[in-house]
Amino acid sequence: MDRTLIRNFAIIAHIDHGKTTLSDRMLEITGSLTAREMAGQEQVLDAMDLERERGITIKAHAVRMLYAAKDGQTYQLNLIDTPGHVDFSYEVSRSLASCEGALLVVDATQGVEAQTLANSYIAINHGLEIIPVINKIDLPSADIERTKEMIESAVGLDASTALPISAKTGMGVIEVLEEIVKRVPPPKGRVEAPLQALIFDSWFDSYRGVGVLARVVNGRLYKGQKIKLMAKGTTFLVDSMGVLTPKAAEIGELTAGEVGFFFATMKTVGDVKIGDTITDADHPAIEAMPGFEDIKAMVFAGLYTVDSHEHNLLRDALEKLRLNDASFFFEPESSTALGFGFRCGFLGLLHMEIIQERLEREYNLDLIITAPSVRYDVTLTDGTALEVDNPSKWPDPTLIESVKEPIITATILTAEEYVGGILKLVEEKRGKQKNFEYVGASRVMITYELPLNEVVLDFYDRLKTVSRGYASLDYHLSGWWESPMVKLDILVAGESVDALSIIVHRDSAYERGKALVSKMRELIPRQQFEVAIQAAIGARIVARETVAALRKNVLAKCYGGDISRKRKLLEKQKEGKRRMKRVGKVDIPQEAFLAVLRVASEES
Amino acid sequence: MSNEVHSALYLSVPFCKSKCSFCNFASGVFSRQLFDRYVAHLEQAIASSPQVAEECGTAFDPILDSVYLGGGTPSVLAPDQLRRVMQAIRATFTLAAGVEFTVEIAPGTLSEEILAVLVEASVNRVSLGVQSFVDQETRAVGRLHNRETTLADVERLRAAGIAEISIDLIAGLPYQTEESWRRSLDDLIALRPPHASVYMLEVDDDSRLGRELIAGGERYHAHHVPDEALTVALYEQAADSLNAAGIAQYEISNFAHAGHESRHNLRYWQRQPYFGFGVEASAMLPAPLPGEPHRALRISQVDSLDALLGGAKPERTVVGEQQAIEETYFLGLRQTKGVELVAIKQEFGIDAVDRYREVIAAQVERGLLEIEDGWLRLTRRGRLLSNDVFAEFLTE
Repeated sequence: MDRTLIRNFAIIAHIDHGKTTLSDRMLEITGSLTAREMAGQEQVLDAMDLERERGITIKAHAVRMLYAAKDGQTYQLNLIDTPGHVDFSYEVSRSLASCEGALLVVDATQGVEAQTLANSYIAINHGLEIIPVINKIDLPSADIERTKEMIESAVGLDASTALPISAKTGMGVIEVLEEIVKRVPPPKGRVEAPLQALIFDSWFDSYRGVGVLARVVNGRLYKGQKIKLMAKGTTFLVDSMGVLTPKAAEIGELTAGEVGFFFATMKTVGDVKIGDTITDADHPAIEAMPGFEDIKAMVFAGLYTVDSHEHNLLRDALEKLRLNDASFFFEPESSTALGFGFRCGFLGLLHMEIIQERLEREYNLDLIITAPSVRYDVTLTDGTALEVDNPSKWPDPTLIESVKEPIITATILTAEEYVGGILKLVEEKRGKQKNFEYVGASRVMITYELPLNEVVLDFYDRLKTVSRGYASLDYHLSGWWESPMVKLDILVAGESVDALSIIVHRDSAYERGKALVSKMRELIPRQQFEVAIQAAIGARIVARETVAALRKNVLAKCYGGDISRKRKLLEKQKEGKRRMKRVGKVDIPQEAFLAVLRVASEES
Repeated sequence: MSNEVHSALYLSVPFCKSKCSFCNFASGVFSRQLFDRYVAHLEQAIASSPQVAEECGTAFDPILDSVYLGGGTPSVLAPDQLRRVMQAIRATFTLAAGVEFTVEIAPGTLSEEILAVLVEASVNRVSLGVQSFVDQETRAVGRLHNRETTLADVERLRAAGIAEISIDLIAGLPYQTEESWRRSLDDLIALRPPHASVYMLEVDDDSRLGRELIAGGERYHAHHVPDEALTVALYEQAADSLNAAGIAQYEISNFAHAGHESRHNLRYWQRQPYFGFGVEASAMLPAPLPGEPHRALRISQVDSLDALLGGAKPERTVVGEQQAIEETYFLGLRQTKGVELVAIKQEFGIDAVDRYREVIAAQVERGLLEIEDGWLRLTRRGRLLSNDVFAEFLTE
């Protein structure tokens, strides 16, 4: 195809600001899908149930549309959808790097949110042409002028030409397509040059193996080609390729400027790294595309099944999930309290929640997930450096010289009436203010440095509470602080329960310990003997509570009339016990392992 | 099961003059117009006994070793209504020579006419729902009698020739203290009854007081209910006092002079068959099949008076071989003497004992069970935690 007729663009939007509806409307207008086909599936681009439910896109997509513009030409529009959550910002940046333009979609009733802002900055940094679009103007509370103002003051874009639309009714969507054709520059690049193609997503298909979504920047990518992944240095043979319209259509090659998918001889998604550059194995490009990062998990937690007999089912399920998600890793671990399970690493908290929900929903597993942890750089007194992401591997305190913890820079956008509560929260979370500014009349942008450790426990929930949901958050890893971190252990009846240990800042250890043991006292049912619950740092006990012994558990009356009833009662009691985890002599219910998370939330 | 066992019959009369706050049974205060209909229902039900036995595939034995009229309060029926029930029993069954014939009486409801009906019908045992000899305590739970009425009723029963008297007490009533409980126990012992029952207050959502306690409220004097530790102490105090007075504990909540144990109730714990009619009553009858010699049926009547009079069918539960073994343990262990392991082995086969070796050993180690001369029994502590022990005998 004539490269001057190609437009590659992405849509930047906050959750629920209408990205998917707008995409669907464009598919309909360009005739990629008929209204009838659309009706079968409410929103075409959000394929997974979970994505649709949460209104977010987890996997990227790329859809080719053919649009007959008013200038009489037919253009190839490639819509590259981007994941819509902070945990996936690296994927977002790779998707945006594959485009020449982006639509910035802002809800006219809500205004600019933090993630929109972060993604807009990425797009600006990549030199993308950004077209502001103001959506939901059919709603009575839509305020187009105010939304324009916010786009100008927060994002720093000229919003005078912003397009007012309603993706829901279709109003203004044709104008959006026209603007894409007019304003987004056609791709540069040379077909004759050695192949350079940027990978921005991959998935696993049971029949064909690993599918890769890529943008060809220079050269040609064709069926039967021997390709090389430049960062990994591995080679594969391309066995089929195509484009999504959004139905998959086979084609023979993709040339500079085009976007599409291909299958090669890769076996697992782990063979492909997002952001890597594909080149021709026999005529390689000299340089890879810039911006590749080998992203690492930031949040770690142990996953266990309530029923230890389901351990193998959990392993199978994790293996299947990993087929489609190379950013998530797991390895076996064992806990004295919970038995055999897996230590898992996630890109962030949402990523963790998604995996957990999929395991529970799609694989019907009943899970215990331990308190999330981050990775610490620990230096021992003998000079040894360690990376510790699991409290159970925390070294003896006397051997620790220093600890560095990961720090994020968080950008929070909110309405001014919630600023007080949010500042209190970030201060409590050991945050350091970097910036505070008004964007628009009553919106405030707060930038803070925060320890990731404080964010993984309960930050989202607390932020939602103090802002009544009117705050949006974006963050990126920005450095390390040396901090006096300590391991807080929980002892039940004198035995340390490894799955309950957490790493906390020394100054909050006492409060945390107190709150935690008091929560445990509520959650651990009375046993036949008195049970001491203690919080300890090393050998030092910082808090203690006692669960009184169960004095009686007896049916006073048991005569002919109610033997079957009494039997049911005994059965119920036995079933309740079976669902608990026995640590030493003490039965601990599932909820107790989640208490670490809840305790902190209840402090507020 | 011994060979010389004949039939047993339980009838419930779910009527009361007032509903006690602790009551978790389906009895209550109903209009007297319902009494006649209910008596008619019982007459018909009793007459159906041979048919019920036949349906289970077991031979009908018309001789009764024991009859038990419970409630509710059977003594609130009109004398002629009670008489009709007694006549219905004799129309279908024959009382064995040494029959144990028990009627539950709430103190203060025993009229001369009712007493006459009891004597005439050969009732030889009365269970008196005294609950406490301390007036403040009986008043707080809504009972209509006081200490004086109780003492007078015992005297009248004895004068009428009914010597087998059992007295019920409840440990854990509102306002109870160790001192007030001492007075109730002293009064009970002074009356020298051949039998007594001491129940720890059951807290569940089937009674008004139970619900209030669970909710943490103050209605029904719930905030004056002794705490768990005190209730346990009261119970143990009762066991010690009654044992010392020769009224020996023979079940978790029952005490008797030797030879005066309730033969009717023993049948439940020893899994001997019984008929049962009326609201919330159950029958348990053998229903053996080839290869399932211990199979039985439990026929449970509905717990709603309206539904019962409306013709609701009872629920039938099959007690299979495994359930029979489990019941043998968790009912038998309620008795102070426990269960004889060799007898279980002989009745159900070696596996019925071997399978529980580990369970038993673990409970013995915890001090909840003990084994002596082939008898497995709850320890004193095990009695208080008996549900924990019993649950272990159930298969999942």
